Amino acid sequence: MTTTIHARRPGASAWLRMIQAEAKMIIRDTAGVIVPLGLPILMLVMQAMMSDDLFLEIAPGVTVMDYYALPVVLAMVVTMVGVMNFPSFLATYRQTKVLRRLAVTPASPAMVLVAQVVVSLIQVFLGLAIAFGVAIIFFDANLPSHILMAILVLLACCAAMYAVGMMVASLAPTPNASVAIGLVAFFGMAALGGMFGPMENLPGTLADIGAWLPFGATVEAFQATWLGETVPWQNWVSFAASTGIGLTVTAALFRWE
Amino acid sequence: MTDTATPLAIDAHHLVKRYKNKTAVDGISVQIPSGETFGILGSNGAGKTTTVEMIAGLRKPTEGTVRILGLDPFTDRAEVRQILGVQLQQAYLHDALTARELVDLYRSFYPDPLDAETALAMVELQEKAKTRFSNLSGGQMQRLSIALALIGQPRVVILDELTTGLDPKARRRVWATIESLQDQTVILISHAMDEIERLCDRVALIDAGRIVAQGTPDDLKAQASAATLEDAFVALTGKEFEYEQEESS
Repeated sequence: MTTTIHARRPGASAWLRMIQAEAKMIIRDTAGVIVPLGLPILMLVMQAMMSDDLFLEIAPGVTVMDYYALPVVLAMVVTMVGVMNFPSFLATYRQTKVLRRLAVTPASPAMVLVAQVVVSLIQVFLGLAIAFGVAIIFFDANLPSHILMAILVLLACCAAMYAVGMMVASLAPTPNASVAIGLVAFFGMAALGGMFGPMENLPGTLADIGAWLPFGATVEAFQATWLGETVPWQNWVSFAASTGIGLTVTAALFRWE
Repeated sequence: MTDTATPLAIDAHHLVKRYKNKTAVDGISVQIPSGETFGILGSNGAGKTTTVEMIAGLRKPTEGTVRILGLDPFTDRAEVRQILGVQLQQAYLHDALTARELVDLYRSFYPDPLDAETALAMVELQEKAKTRFSNLSGGQMQRLSIALALIGQPRVVILDELTTGLDPKARRRVWATIESLQDQTVILISHAMDEIERLCDRVALIDAGRIVAQGTPDDLKAQASAATLEDAFVALTGKEFEYEQEESS
Protein backbone atom coordinates (compact mmCIF):
# COMPACT_ATOMS: atom_id res chain seq x y z
CA MET A 1 0.00 0.00 0.00
CA THR A 2 1.38 3.37 -0.92
CA THR A 3 0.33 6.39 1.05
CA THR A 4 1.00 9.93 -0.07
CA ILE A 5 0.87 12.62 2.56
CA HIS A 6 1.22 16.25 1.60
CA ALA A 7 2.68 18.48 4.28
CA ARG A 8 0.15 21.30 4.33
CA ARG A 9 0.85 23.87 6.97
CA PRO A 10 -2.06 25.83 8.43
CA GLY A 11 -3.04 28.66 6.09
CA ALA A 12 -3.92 32.31 6.58
CA SER A 13 -7.33 31.50 8.06
CA ALA A 14 -5.66 29.48 10.84
CA TRP A 15 -3.31 32.35 11.63
CA LEU A 16 -6.28 34.70 11.71
CA ARG A 17 -8.22 32.34 14.00
CA MET A 18 -5.27 32.17 16.34
CA ILE A 19 -5.03 35.97 16.46
CA GLN A 20 -8.79 36.19 17.08
CA ALA A 21 -8.50 33.61 19.85
CA GLU A 22 -5.70 35.57 21.50
CA ALA A 23 -7.66 38.81 21.20
CA LYS A 24 -10.72 37.23 22.83
CA MET A 25 -8.58 35.81 25.62
CA ILE A 26 -7.15 39.27 26.32
CA ILE A 27 -10.45 41.15 26.07
CA ARG A 28 -12.14 38.67 28.42
CA ASP A 29 -9.30 39.05 30.92
CA THR A 30 -10.09 42.65 31.90
CA ALA A 31 -7.09 42.98 34.19
CA GLY A 32 -4.77 42.04 31.32
CA VAL A 33 -5.94 45.02 29.27
CA ILE A 34 -5.23 47.54 32.03
CA VAL A 35 -1.44 47.28 31.76
CA PRO A 36 -1.02 48.13 28.07
CA LEU A 37 -3.87 50.67 27.95
CA GLY A 38 -3.46 52.35 31.35
CA LEU A 39 0.29 52.14 31.76
CA PRO A 40 1.21 54.73 29.10
CA ILE A 41 -0.91 57.44 30.75
CA LEU A 42 0.50 56.58 34.16
CA MET A 43 4.06 56.73 32.82
CA LEU A 44 3.33 60.02 31.10
CA VAL A 45 2.00 61.65 34.25
CA MET A 46 4.93 60.31 36.28
CA GLN A 47 7.47 61.67 33.80
CA ALA A 48 5.65 65.01 33.66
CA MET A 49 5.67 65.32 37.46
CA MET A 50 9.44 64.70 37.58
CA SER A 51 10.22 67.90 35.69
CA ASP A 52 9.69 71.53 36.80
CA ASP A 53 10.34 73.09 33.39
CA LEU A 54 8.18 70.84 31.27
CA PHE A 55 7.17 73.54 28.83
CA LEU A 56 10.66 75.03 28.38
CA GLU A 57 11.71 75.04 24.74
CA ILE A 58 15.07 73.40 24.13
CA ALA A 59 14.83 73.82 20.37
CA PRO A 60 12.32 75.64 18.18
CA GLY A 61 8.97 73.92 18.75
CA VAL A 62 10.49 71.19 20.97
CA THR A 63 9.85 71.31 24.71
CA VAL A 64 11.39 69.39 27.59
CA MET A 65 8.20 67.32 27.56
CA ASP A 66 8.78 66.41 23.90
CA TYR A 67 12.50 65.79 24.10
CA TYR A 68 12.88 64.03 27.47
CA ALA A 69 9.52 62.81 28.75
CA LEU A 70 7.80 61.39 25.67
CA PRO A 71 10.74 59.34 24.32
CA VAL A 72 11.22 57.81 27.77
CA VAL A 73 7.48 57.08 28.08
CA LEU A 74 7.49 55.39 24.66
CA ALA A 75 10.53 53.30 25.54
CA MET A 76 9.16 52.37 28.98
CA VAL A 77 5.79 51.24 27.68
CA VAL A 78 7.13 49.14 24.82
CA THR A 79 9.82 47.61 27.04
CA MET A 80 7.50 46.88 29.93
CA VAL A 81 4.86 45.23 27.75
CA GLY A 82 7.31 43.51 25.39
CA VAL A 83 9.83 42.26 27.92
CA MET A 84 7.62 41.63 30.99
CA ASN A 85 3.93 41.45 30.12
CA PHE A 86 4.09 39.52 26.82
CA PRO A 87 6.42 36.67 27.96
CA SER A 88 4.39 36.09 31.12
CA PHE A 89 1.33 35.22 28.98
CA LEU A 90 3.36 32.71 27.00
CA ALA A 91 4.87 31.22 30.15
CA THR A 92 1.37 30.86 31.59
CA TYR A 93 0.27 29.00 28.46
CA ARG A 94 3.23 26.70 28.90
CA GLN A 95 2.51 26.10 32.57
CA THR A 96 -1.19 25.46 32.02
CA LYS A 97 -0.31 23.01 29.21
CA VAL A 98 -2.12 24.97 26.51
CA LEU A 99 1.11 24.91 24.48
CA ARG A 100 1.43 21.17 25.06
CA ARG A 101 -2.02 20.63 23.55
CA LEU A 102 -1.15 22.81 20.55
CA ALA A 103 2.12 20.89 20.09
CA VAL A 104 0.21 17.84 18.86
CA THR A 105 -1.63 19.82 16.18
CA PRO A 106 -0.26 21.24 12.92
CA ALA A 107 -0.03 24.66 14.63
CA SER A 108 3.56 25.91 14.80
CA PRO A 109 5.26 27.81 17.63
CA ALA A 110 5.45 30.77 15.23
CA MET A 111 1.63 30.90 15.05
CA VAL A 112 1.34 31.21 18.82
CA LEU A 113 4.14 33.76 19.07
CA VAL A 114 2.92 35.90 16.18
CA ALA A 115 -0.67 35.86 17.45
CA GLN A 116 0.45 37.00 20.88
CA VAL A 117 2.75 39.67 19.45
CA VAL A 118 0.04 41.04 17.14
CA VAL A 119 -2.56 41.28 19.90
CA SER A 120 -0.05 42.76 22.32
CA LEU A 121 1.14 45.32 19.77
CA ILE A 122 -2.42 46.43 19.04
CA GLN A 123 -2.83 47.11 22.76
CA VAL A 124 0.49 48.97 22.94
CA PHE A 125 -0.36 51.16 19.96
CA LEU A 126 -3.81 51.90 21.39
CA GLY A 127 -2.29 52.73 24.77
CA LEU A 128 0.32 54.98 23.21
CA ALA A 129 -2.29 56.73 21.09
CA ILE A 130 -4.36 57.47 24.19
CA ALA A 131 -1.27 58.69 26.04
CA PHE A 132 -0.28 60.93 23.12
CA GLY A 133 -3.78 62.35 23.06
CA VAL A 134 -3.51 63.18 26.76
CA ALA A 135 -0.02 64.64 26.26
CA ILE A 136 -1.16 66.90 23.42
CA ILE A 137 -4.38 68.03 25.13
CA PHE A 138 -3.13 68.51 28.70
CA PHE A 139 0.64 68.99 28.36
CA ASP A 140 0.85 70.93 25.08
CA ALA A 141 3.08 68.22 23.66
CA ASN A 142 4.18 68.35 20.03
CA LEU A 143 4.43 65.51 17.55
CA PRO A 144 7.94 64.57 16.31
CA SER A 145 9.32 66.71 13.48
CA HIS A 146 9.94 63.51 11.48
CA ILE A 147 6.73 61.59 12.05
CA LEU A 148 7.41 58.83 9.53
CA MET A 149 10.88 58.28 10.97
CA ALA A 150 9.35 58.19 14.46
CA ILE A 151 6.92 55.50 13.33
CA LEU A 152 9.83 53.53 11.88
CA VAL A 153 11.73 53.88 15.17
CA LEU A 154 8.64 52.72 17.08
CA LEU A 155 8.37 49.62 14.88
CA ALA A 156 12.09 48.87 15.20
CA CYS A 157 11.91 49.35 18.95
CA CYS A 158 8.89 47.01 19.15
CA ALA A 159 10.71 44.36 17.10
CA ALA A 160 13.73 44.57 19.41
CA MET A 161 11.76 44.50 22.67
CA TYR A 162 9.38 41.71 21.62
CA ALA A 163 12.35 39.65 20.41
CA VAL A 164 13.92 40.09 23.85
CA GLY A 165 10.52 39.16 25.34
CA MET A 166 10.37 35.99 23.23
CA MET A 167 13.83 35.12 24.48
CA VAL A 168 12.65 35.61 28.07
CA ALA A 169 9.61 33.41 27.39
CA SER A 170 11.81 30.71 25.91
CA LEU A 171 14.23 30.71 28.83
CA ALA A 172 11.74 31.02 31.70
CA PRO A 173 10.48 27.73 33.14
CA THR A 174 7.48 29.30 34.95
CA PRO A 175 5.40 32.50 34.78
CA ASN A 176 7.06 33.70 37.99
CA ALA A 177 10.51 33.12 36.53
CA SER A 178 9.40 34.95 33.41
CA VAL A 179 8.36 38.00 35.43
CA ALA A 180 11.61 37.85 37.43
CA ILE A 181 13.82 37.64 34.32
CA GLY A 182 11.69 40.30 32.62
CA LEU A 183 12.03 42.63 35.62
CA VAL A 184 15.80 42.30 35.68
CA ALA A 185 16.00 42.89 31.93
CA PHE A 186 13.61 45.86 32.12
CA PHE A 187 15.31 47.65 35.01
CA GLY A 188 18.78 46.87 33.66
CA MET A 189 18.03 48.39 30.27
CA ALA A 190 15.84 51.20 31.60
CA ALA A 191 18.18 52.36 34.37
CA LEU A 192 21.04 52.65 31.88
CA GLY A 193 18.77 54.02 29.17
CA GLY A 194 17.45 57.19 30.80
CA MET A 195 14.36 56.14 32.77
CA PHE A 196 15.56 57.80 35.99
CA GLY A 197 17.22 60.78 34.37
CA PRO A 198 19.11 61.71 31.20
CA MET A 199 21.70 59.15 30.07
CA GLU A 200 24.32 61.87 29.87
CA ASN A 201 24.18 62.17 33.68
CA LEU A 202 25.50 58.59 34.01
CA PRO A 203 29.26 57.84 34.21
CA GLY A 204 30.74 57.61 30.70
CA THR A 205 31.03 53.83 30.36
CA LEU A 206 27.56 53.18 31.78
CA ALA A 207 26.06 55.82 29.48
CA ASP A 208 27.79 54.17 26.51
CA ILE A 209 26.46 50.73 27.47
CA GLY A 210 22.98 52.18 28.02
CA ALA A 211 22.97 53.83 24.60
CA TRP A 212 23.82 50.52 22.92
CA LEU A 213 21.01 48.66 24.71
CA PRO A 214 17.59 48.88 23.02
CA PHE A 215 15.99 51.08 25.70
CA GLY A 216 18.67 53.75 25.44
CA ALA A 217 18.73 53.43 21.66
CA THR A 218 14.96 53.98 21.59
CA VAL A 219 15.19 57.14 23.70
CA GLU A 220 18.03 58.54 21.59
CA ALA A 221 16.34 57.66 18.31
CA PHE A 222 13.05 59.29 19.33
CA GLN A 223 14.88 62.39 20.56
CA ALA A 224 16.45 62.68 17.11
CA THR A 225 13.05 62.44 15.41
CA TRP A 226 11.66 65.22 17.63
CA LEU A 227 14.58 67.47 16.72
CA GLY A 228 14.27 66.56 13.06
CA GLU A 229 17.77 65.10 13.01
CA THR A 230 19.02 61.87 11.48
CA VAL A 231 18.66 58.87 13.76
CA PRO A 232 22.20 57.72 14.73
CA TRP A 233 23.27 54.51 12.98
CA GLN A 234 24.24 53.02 16.35
CA ASN A 235 20.54 53.01 17.32
CA TRP A 236 19.60 50.99 14.24
CA VAL A 237 22.43 48.55 14.97
CA SER A 238 21.13 48.16 18.53
CA PHE A 239 17.59 47.41 17.30
CA ALA A 240 18.81 44.97 14.66
CA ALA A 241 21.18 43.17 17.04
CA SER A 242 18.53 42.84 19.77
CA THR A 243 15.99 41.54 17.28
CA GLY A 244 18.46 39.10 15.72
CA ILE A 245 19.75 37.74 19.03
CA GLY A 246 16.25 37.46 20.49
CA LEU A 247 14.82 35.59 17.52
CA THR A 248 17.84 33.30 17.20
CA VAL A 249 17.75 32.31 20.86
CA THR A 250 13.97 31.84 20.68
CA ALA A 251 14.23 29.60 17.62
CA ALA A 252 16.89 27.52 19.36
CA LEU A 253 15.30 27.26 22.80
CA PHE A 254 11.52 27.46 22.32
CA ARG A 255 9.77 24.70 24.27
CA TRP A 256 6.13 23.66 24.05
CA GLU A 257 6.32 22.49 27.67
CA MET B 1 5.36 15.46 0.19
CA THR B 2 6.32 12.11 1.65
CA ASP B 3 5.57 8.68 0.23
CA THR B 4 5.24 5.71 2.51
CA ALA B 5 4.74 2.10 1.51
CA THR B 6 3.73 0.35 4.69
CA PRO B 7 0.44 -0.96 5.95
CA LEU B 8 1.57 -0.43 9.55
CA ALA B 9 -0.05 2.59 11.14
CA ILE B 10 2.36 2.51 14.08
CA ASP B 11 5.76 0.87 14.08
CA ALA B 12 7.61 1.56 17.33
CA HIS B 13 10.86 -0.31 17.71
CA HIS B 14 12.75 -0.79 20.99
CA LEU B 15 11.68 2.47 22.62
CA VAL B 16 13.73 3.46 25.64
CA LYS B 17 13.31 6.60 27.74
CA ARG B 18 15.75 7.35 30.55
CA TYR B 19 15.63 10.30 32.97
CA LYS B 20 18.91 10.59 34.89
CA ASN B 21 18.72 7.56 37.18
CA LYS B 22 15.28 6.35 36.13
CA THR B 23 14.31 4.26 33.13
CA ALA B 24 10.66 5.02 32.41
CA VAL B 25 10.41 2.91 29.26
CA ASP B 26 12.74 -0.01 28.70
CA GLY B 27 12.65 -1.43 25.19
CA ILE B 28 9.02 -1.32 24.11
CA SER B 29 8.15 -2.41 20.57
CA VAL B 30 4.64 -2.31 19.09
CA GLN B 31 3.42 -2.79 15.55
CA ILE B 32 -0.16 -1.72 14.93
CA PRO B 33 -1.82 -2.32 11.56
CA SER B 34 -4.08 0.33 10.06
CA GLY B 35 -7.63 0.22 11.34
CA GLU B 36 -6.82 -1.54 14.59
CA THR B 37 -7.77 -0.30 18.03
CA PHE B 38 -4.84 -1.07 20.28
CA GLY B 39 -5.03 -0.81 24.06
CA ILE B 40 -2.22 -0.12 26.48
CA LEU B 41 -2.83 -1.24 30.02
CA GLY B 42 -0.59 -0.83 33.04
CA SER B 43 -0.40 0.34 36.62
CA ASN B 44 0.66 3.80 37.77
CA GLY B 45 4.14 4.68 36.57
CA ALA B 46 4.34 1.65 34.27
CA GLY B 47 5.42 3.84 31.36
CA LYS B 48 2.19 3.97 29.34
CA THR B 49 1.95 7.72 28.97
CA THR B 50 5.67 8.11 28.28
CA THR B 51 5.37 5.48 25.55
CA VAL B 52 2.53 7.21 23.75
CA GLU B 53 4.17 10.62 24.19
CA MET B 54 7.19 9.23 22.33
CA ILE B 55 4.88 7.84 19.64
CA ALA B 56 3.14 11.23 19.39
CA GLY B 57 6.47 13.03 19.06
CA LEU B 58 6.15 14.87 22.36
CA ARG B 59 9.17 13.19 23.96
CA LYS B 60 12.27 12.12 22.11
CA PRO B 61 13.21 8.51 22.86
CA THR B 62 16.62 7.89 24.41
CA GLU B 63 16.82 4.88 22.09
CA GLY B 64 14.59 3.36 19.46
CA THR B 65 12.54 4.53 16.52
CA VAL B 66 8.89 5.40 15.85
CA ARG B 67 7.11 5.51 12.53
CA ILE B 68 3.53 6.60 11.99
CA LEU B 69 2.38 5.44 8.55
CA GLY B 70 6.07 5.33 7.70
CA LEU B 71 6.75 8.88 8.93
CA ASP B 72 9.09 9.94 11.70
CA PRO B 73 7.16 12.12 14.19
CA PHE B 74 10.28 14.18 14.88
CA THR B 75 11.67 14.78 11.40
CA ASP B 76 8.35 14.64 9.49
CA ARG B 77 6.56 16.75 12.05
CA ALA B 78 4.29 18.66 9.69
CA GLU B 79 3.02 15.51 7.93
CA VAL B 80 2.54 13.56 11.15
CA ARG B 81 0.61 16.35 12.87
CA GLN B 82 -1.82 16.34 9.98
CA ILE B 83 -2.68 12.63 10.24
CA LEU B 84 -2.48 12.31 14.02
CA GLY B 85 -5.17 13.21 16.54
CA VAL B 86 -4.21 13.25 20.21
CA GLN B 87 -6.20 13.53 23.39
CA LEU B 88 -3.71 14.10 26.16
CA GLN B 89 -4.27 13.06 29.73
CA GLN B 90 -2.98 16.34 31.10
CA ALA B 91 -3.45 19.15 28.65
CA TYR B 92 -5.68 22.16 28.73
CA LEU B 93 -7.24 24.60 26.36
CA HIS B 94 -7.63 28.36 26.17
CA ASP B 95 -9.94 28.67 29.16
CA ALA B 96 -11.65 31.93 28.20
CA LEU B 97 -12.77 30.62 24.79
CA THR B 98 -16.12 28.94 24.31
CA ALA B 99 -16.49 25.35 23.14
CA ARG B 100 -17.48 26.55 19.67
CA GLU B 101 -14.56 28.98 19.47
CA LEU B 102 -12.15 26.21 20.42
CA VAL B 103 -13.65 23.91 17.80
CA ASP B 104 -13.32 26.66 15.19
CA LEU B 105 -9.71 27.34 16.20
CA TYR B 106 -8.63 23.69 16.12
CA ARG B 107 -10.44 22.88 12.89
CA SER B 108 -8.61 25.75 11.20
CA PHE B 109 -5.33 23.84 11.64
CA TYR B 110 -6.36 20.92 9.41
CA PRO B 111 -6.84 20.64 5.65
CA ASP B 112 -10.05 18.58 5.78
CA PRO B 113 -11.68 18.96 9.18
CA LEU B 114 -15.08 17.89 10.42
CA ASP B 115 -17.55 20.73 10.43
CA ALA B 116 -18.02 22.41 13.78
CA GLU B 117 -21.62 21.24 14.33
CA THR B 118 -20.69 17.63 13.61
CA ALA B 119 -17.76 17.79 16.02
CA LEU B 120 -19.88 19.19 18.84
CA ALA B 121 -22.74 16.80 18.10
CA MET B 122 -20.36 13.84 18.16
CA VAL B 123 -19.73 14.47 21.86
CA GLU B 124 -23.19 15.94 22.52
CA LEU B 125 -21.98 19.40 23.40
CA GLN B 126 -24.16 21.43 21.01
CA GLU B 127 -25.95 23.06 23.91
CA LYS B 128 -22.65 24.05 25.48
CA ALA B 129 -21.30 25.67 22.30
CA LYS B 130 -21.39 29.14 23.85
CA THR B 131 -20.03 28.08 27.24
CA ARG B 132 -16.48 29.00 28.07
CA PHE B 133 -14.07 26.10 28.55
CA SER B 134 -13.43 27.16 32.16
CA ASN B 135 -17.16 26.86 32.90
CA LEU B 136 -17.55 23.34 31.51
CA SER B 137 -17.72 20.39 33.90
CA GLY B 138 -14.81 17.94 33.99
CA GLY B 139 -16.71 15.46 31.86
CA GLN B 140 -17.66 18.13 29.33
CA MET B 141 -14.03 19.26 29.11
CA GLN B 142 -13.04 15.65 28.49
CA ARG B 143 -15.65 15.27 25.75
CA LEU B 144 -14.56 18.49 24.08
CA SER B 145 -10.97 17.29 24.22
CA ILE B 146 -12.01 14.07 22.45
CA ALA B 147 -13.86 16.07 19.78
CA LEU B 148 -10.72 18.16 19.19
CA ALA B 149 -8.61 15.01 18.87
CA LEU B 150 -10.93 13.79 16.12
CA ILE B 151 -11.63 17.10 14.42
CA GLY B 152 -8.93 16.79 11.77
CA GLN B 153 -10.26 13.39 10.70
CA PRO B 154 -6.93 11.85 11.70
CA ARG B 155 -5.81 8.47 10.41
CA VAL B 156 -4.19 7.67 13.73
CA VAL B 157 -5.72 8.66 17.06
CA ILE B 158 -4.10 8.51 20.48
CA LEU B 159 -6.51 8.68 23.40
CA ASP B 160 -4.98 8.85 26.87
CA GLU B 161 -7.44 7.99 29.65
CA LEU B 162 -10.38 8.31 27.32
CA THR B 163 -13.27 8.26 29.76
CA THR B 164 -11.65 9.26 33.05
CA GLY B 165 -14.06 11.51 34.89
CA LEU B 166 -17.09 10.68 32.76
CA ASP B 167 -20.34 9.34 34.15
CA PRO B 168 -21.56 5.93 32.90
CA LYS B 169 -23.91 7.44 30.33
CA ALA B 170 -21.23 9.72 28.93
CA ARG B 171 -18.76 6.81 28.83
CA ARG B 172 -21.12 4.79 26.69
CA ARG B 173 -21.62 7.73 24.34
CA VAL B 174 -17.86 8.14 23.95
CA TRP B 175 -17.42 4.42 23.38
CA ALA B 176 -20.01 4.55 20.62
CA THR B 177 -18.09 7.43 19.03
CA ILE B 178 -14.85 5.45 19.09
CA GLU B 179 -16.59 2.36 17.71
CA SER B 180 -17.97 4.43 14.85
CA LEU B 181 -14.51 5.44 13.65
CA GLN B 182 -13.98 3.94 10.23
CA ASP B 183 -10.52 2.91 9.00
CA GLN B 184 -8.85 4.89 11.75
CA THR B 185 -6.14 3.42 13.93
CA VAL B 186 -6.62 4.07 17.63
CA ILE B 187 -4.20 3.74 20.53
CA LEU B 188 -6.16 3.72 23.74
CA ILE B 189 -4.59 4.05 27.15
CA SER B 190 -6.99 3.22 29.89
CA HIS B 191 -7.36 1.98 33.41
CA ALA B 192 -10.87 0.74 32.63
CA MET B 193 -10.83 -2.99 31.92
CA ASP B 194 -14.38 -2.94 30.53
CA GLU B 195 -13.40 -0.16 28.15
CA ILE B 196 -10.31 -2.01 26.93
CA GLU B 197 -12.25 -5.25 26.47
CA ARG B 198 -15.04 -3.57 24.57
CA LEU B 199 -13.03 -1.30 22.29
CA CYS B 200 -9.65 -2.90 21.68
CA ASP B 201 -8.70 -5.49 19.08
CA ARG B 202 -5.39 -6.09 20.84
CA VAL B 203 -3.87 -5.06 24.16
CA ALA B 204 -0.34 -4.63 25.50
CA LEU B 205 0.18 -5.08 29.23
CA ILE B 206 2.99 -2.83 30.41
CA ASP B 207 4.85 -3.16 33.67
CA ALA B 208 8.03 -1.32 34.76
CA GLY B 209 8.54 0.09 31.28
CA ARG B 210 8.32 -3.26 29.48
CA ILE B 211 5.59 -5.12 27.64
CA VAL B 212 4.88 -8.29 29.61
CA ALA B 213 2.17 -9.62 27.31
CA GLN B 214 0.45 -8.62 24.09
CA GLY B 215 -2.54 -10.04 22.24
CA THR B 216 -6.31 -9.91 21.97
CA PRO B 217 -8.17 -9.65 25.27
CA ASP B 218 -9.25 -13.28 24.83
CA ASP B 219 -5.66 -14.35 24.09
CA LEU B 220 -4.44 -12.69 27.26
CA LYS B 221 -7.14 -14.28 29.36
CA ALA B 222 -6.36 -17.68 27.84
CA GLN B 223 -2.63 -17.17 28.30
CA ALA B 224 -3.15 -16.50 32.02
CA SER B 225 -6.01 -19.01 32.42
CA ALA B 226 -8.01 -16.12 33.83
CA ALA B 227 -11.70 -15.35 33.68
CA THR B 228 -11.30 -11.60 33.40
CA LEU B 229 -8.78 -9.20 31.90
CA GLU B 230 -8.02 -7.88 35.37
CA ASP B 231 -7.21 -11.39 36.59
CA ALA B 232 -5.05 -11.86 33.51
CA PHE B 233 -3.22 -8.62 34.32
CA VAL B 234 -2.58 -9.75 37.89
CA ALA B 235 -1.42 -13.21 36.77
CA LEU B 236 0.87 -11.89 34.01
CA THR B 237 2.43 -8.98 35.90
CA GLY B 238 2.31 -10.42 39.43
CA LYS B 239 0.85 -7.10 40.63
CA GLU B 240 -2.54 -5.87 41.73
CA PHE B 241 -4.09 -3.45 39.29
CA GLU B 242 -4.27 0.13 40.52
CA TYR B 243 -7.24 2.20 39.49
CA GLU B 244 -5.91 5.62 40.40
CA GLN B 245 -5.25 8.04 37.59
CA GLU B 246 -1.74 7.88 36.23
CA GLU B 247 0.50 10.91 36.39
CA SER B 248 2.44 11.81 33.30
CA SER B 249 6.05 10.73 33.67
